[in-house]
Amino acid sequence: MKRIAPIDIAGGILVVAFLALLPMFAASNYLTGVLTVCVIYGIWASSWDFMSGLTGRENFGHSLFIGAGAYTAGFLSSIWSTNPWISLPLGVVIAIAFSLLVGFPTLRLRGPYFALAMLSASAILQRLCLIFWEYTGGEEGIYGLDPLMKTPLHYYWFVLAILVVTVIVLTLLAQSHWGLLLRAIRGDEATCQAAGINVTFYKIVSLMISAGFAGLGGALYAHYQLQVSPPLFSVVVSITVIIMVYVGGIGSIYGAAIAAILLTLLTEMLRGFGEYRLWIYTLTLMLILFFLPNGLIAPLWRRLTERLR
Amino acid sequence: MDSFLRPLAAASMIVAGALASTAPASAQQAPIKIGIPTSVQLQVGRDTQSAAKLAIEEINAKGGLLGRKLEMVVADETENPEQGIAAIKKLTADDKVNVLIGGYTSGVTLAQLPHISSAKTIYLGVGAASPAITAKVKSDYENYKYIFRAFPINAAHQARALVDFINGKLKGEMGLKKIAIVGENAKWVQDLVPILKKGATEGGTDVTLAEFFDTSTSDFSPLFAKVKNSGAQYLIVILSHASSDIFVKQWHDAQVPIPIGGIDVKSQDADFFTRVSGKANAETVGMFAIRAPLTPKTIPFWDEFVKRFGTAPVYTGIGAYDAVYVYADAVKRANSIEPDAVIKELEKTDHVGIAGKLVFDEVHDVKTGPGLQNLLFVQWQKDGARVVVWPKEAATGPMIAPPWMSN
Amino acid sequence: MLQILIYGAVSSAIYAMLAVGFTLIFGVARILNLAHGSFYALGAYAAYVLTSLLGFPLFIAAPLAVLIVAGFGVVMERFLVRPLRSSQLAVLMITLAVSLAVEQALFITFGSEYRNVPSFVADKLSIGGVDISGQRLLALVAGVLVLLGLWLFIQRTRLGAAILAVSQDPEAAQYMGIPTNRIFSIVMAISAGTAALAGVLVSPFLTVQPTMGLLPMVKAFAIVIVGGLGSIPGSIIASLILGYSETIVAYLISTSWTELVSLVAVVVTLMIRPSGLLGRRAAF
Repeated sequence: MKRIAPIDIAGGILVVAFLALLPMFAASNYLTGVLTVCVIYGIWASSWDFMSGLTGRENFGHSLFIGAGAYTAGFLSSIWSTNPWISLPLGVVIAIAFSLLVGFPTLRLRGPYFALAMLSASAILQRLCLIFWEYTGGEEGIYGLDPLMKTPLHYYWFVLAILVVTVIVLTLLAQSHWGLLLRAIRGDEATCQAAGINVTFYKIVSLMISAGFAGLGGALYAHYQLQVSPPLFSVVVSITVIIMVYVGGIGSIYGAAIAAILLTLLTEMLRGFGEYRLWIYTLTLMLILFFLPNGLIAPLWRRLTERLR
Repeated sequence: MDSFLRPLAAASMIVAGALASTAPASAQQAPIKIGIPTSVQLQVGRDTQSAAKLAIEEINAKGGLLGRKLEMVVADETENPEQGIAAIKKLTADDKVNVLIGGYTSGVTLAQLPHISSAKTIYLGVGAASPAITAKVKSDYENYKYIFRAFPINAAHQARALVDFINGKLKGEMGLKKIAIVGENAKWVQDLVPILKKGATEGGTDVTLAEFFDTSTSDFSPLFAKVKNSGAQYLIVILSHASSDIFVKQWHDAQVPIPIGGIDVKSQDADFFTRVSGKANAETVGMFAIRAPLTPKTIPFWDEFVKRFGTAPVYTGIGAYDAVYVYADAVKRANSIEPDAVIKELEKTDHVGIAGKLVFDEVHDVKTGPGLQNLLFVQWQKDGARVVVWPKEAATGPMIAPPWMSN
Repeated sequence: MLQILIYGAVSSAIYAMLAVGFTLIFGVARILNLAHGSFYALGAYAAYVLTSLLGFPLFIAAPLAVLIVAGFGVVMERFLVRPLRSSQLAVLMITLAVSLAVEQALFITFGSEYRNVPSFVADKLSIGGVDISGQRLLALVAGVLVLLGLWLFIQRTRLGAAILAVSQDPEAAQYMGIPTNRIFSIVMAISAGTAALAGVLVSPFLTVQPTMGLLPMVKAFAIVIVGGLGSIPGSIIASLILGYSETIVAYLISTSWTELVSLVAVVVTLMIRPSGLLGRRAAF
């Protein structure tokens, strides 16, 4: 099993340092806010990549876990007025609970069936939020959450630190014995099963880990936006995350995080173009599919640092 | 490949526009910036921008405000809270606007409130109707004193106007004692329906059915069948984000033997009648203003707007025009753009607007009543004519029945 | 409850028109086409442009709209999907990209406003006391005819036999001299055409809007999962089941619950019988 190369560590430190210092050069805290969202998307994308990128089970319902974490924060902070810091661990717990709930019946499904089952599951939750509006706030969701920190810059650094931890933990897991098994499952599930590996157990646990980080990201997002609403559960969120991972290079985790940051930043910079900015996603996706089937960020990084390894 | 070239053309226009708008800004002082967060994709958003632009140009033509020009910056808040928050952050932190005028979806505005409050920027809402928005001013004045609603009257006031229509017009004049209420599943409707039900029941009208439907509903036939089975004689409809077009077309096509009316935001559009091939005939719509001498300003504004933009304004346009003037007057009186000073003056606002006199109550919400802003019930009639049928003193004609029910 | 019977039939017919094309292209070419909803939206918009903007009479505009969209489907399959067919996920993503691109193109060209297509038939009919607009009945009749025509085409013609052969074993079919790539193009044209026809037929009573393709797409998905991916009879049965259960839910519970029906049906099917009612991974 290959270890993490020193050049990767050096590159990582450089990128993180750059991201951490970036808002200090901006004239206003507008950039800080934008970057906070970018980094949260990074958490979502890398958590998607861990489960789906490694096992090859494309999860088209990642928004289910994101929304679960966010709504947990919404209920806790706004309706039951608890200390906002409780949202984070509980967001993780609830997201993991949902992953168990949907994971058991759906993970044995193959190919597009798993994708569709997850997509439906997240859409069901979105519908339920609308139907039971007396409790969930319906279309408007829940508002009036307390911020975790008063200073936007501090919150940004906090979220960035969580992204770094997420990427490190997931990368280490992916490079461990565990990750090897998950990749093997991607290659040939039947053989793994025949070799006595409890395939279902590994898939479930990897989905739980993925969901946990997504839920954490969801709770962080809720405490940044100070509100949660049903669009968080929508397929659009899941698909956006998947496109980010594609651009980053499936299975690389760090690539997903960086692609998420870049794409989110890009779309915010193109805000002046109104709805045209969604073309960026579409066109990027098409180009990547045709010319860079392995993605952009991770292969590029490997290419650049080839001689330094 | 036309559709692929259009973005390019539009992009170059935006760039050209940006250049043109920054060029003459080299006046003696930096301009006062008015931020417009709105749903630019929709008519409500386009009219907010058009009307604000109209008011700004008028003020600039008369020498500006405190010797400074007014300038408008637009950000798309869509109908999604996430985009709405991003729009507010962009306007307050990046563009550093002095005031925000806009809004449409109540849920988006509610989501924006804490962000507006932490940016300490005055916000004049002209689109969202939920009473929960200004309730914040009452519960936490120090943090939320920046929030005002200039337009429209809130959902609770609208509900009372609707109750007046039900009890006065429907029951009182037409003798209809059974009504059904259907509305979209959204915050402002959920705020409105209980008041409506209570008011109608107390007035002696029987509410046979009250049902919410999803904003994405595309087939209303089950709903119409239920309403018909409930024995209702009139159908009150309350919707804004759902498709009024589909609703009215399906009502007409199935020739549902029950007249409809209520608060139906998209059927306030000037082109609504033609858009649905005249199928809105006999629908009654609550409107905040129409081309009538409501105040001395109504007709001149209306005609100028139509002349400039080729269409009659929807309600957000009326609100945005007034809001720009209300802000400008407050700044003038305060002789400052410092939020705290301007808020003090805004609270004293007594402004003759397009739809009536504009006065804020103690929670910064626009007041309703005789001479102030009101809800008029206007019926679409033959060939797209709009006839006021209630309140009685404002009525311009009798209410007609749908063609398939008239004989 | 004649109401439920009639309105359920109309919903089912529209769903069936959507689902049959979706399942056909999967059964034959193994393409899980996420752009299927775009065909529906494009059909409706083509009808709008041809009638309201260019002033064509409806009986010309409708077939023309279907043909245009069928052509679009063929081009999409040939130039965007075919080069990526080796990877199922790549196909999924490229069709997704197409659907996003179509939606955005419609947004930019037409704005998010609702557009109006005139009715084909303005009359209202009364069947046993149930009022129904002529347009809905037309959709029902057209749906039944299209499904019947499709069935005859596949069962009775040489081309149909070739399509069947490819769906059962593409490699063997190729060895037998069947030009599989051409079959894919034809099937894509049929698939896009039926979806477009559904869009054209419903456009007068549902109005036309850029995101209109999304919900029908989800429905088609649900139906195809419940009926079994690739099975045409399965998707017709599932259309009836979902069409009727949604109508029943709308009448007996509330219209806001209808959208949940198909989603729950998908999850239940996948848990109990993932291959669907009649799923044998073949067209028939």
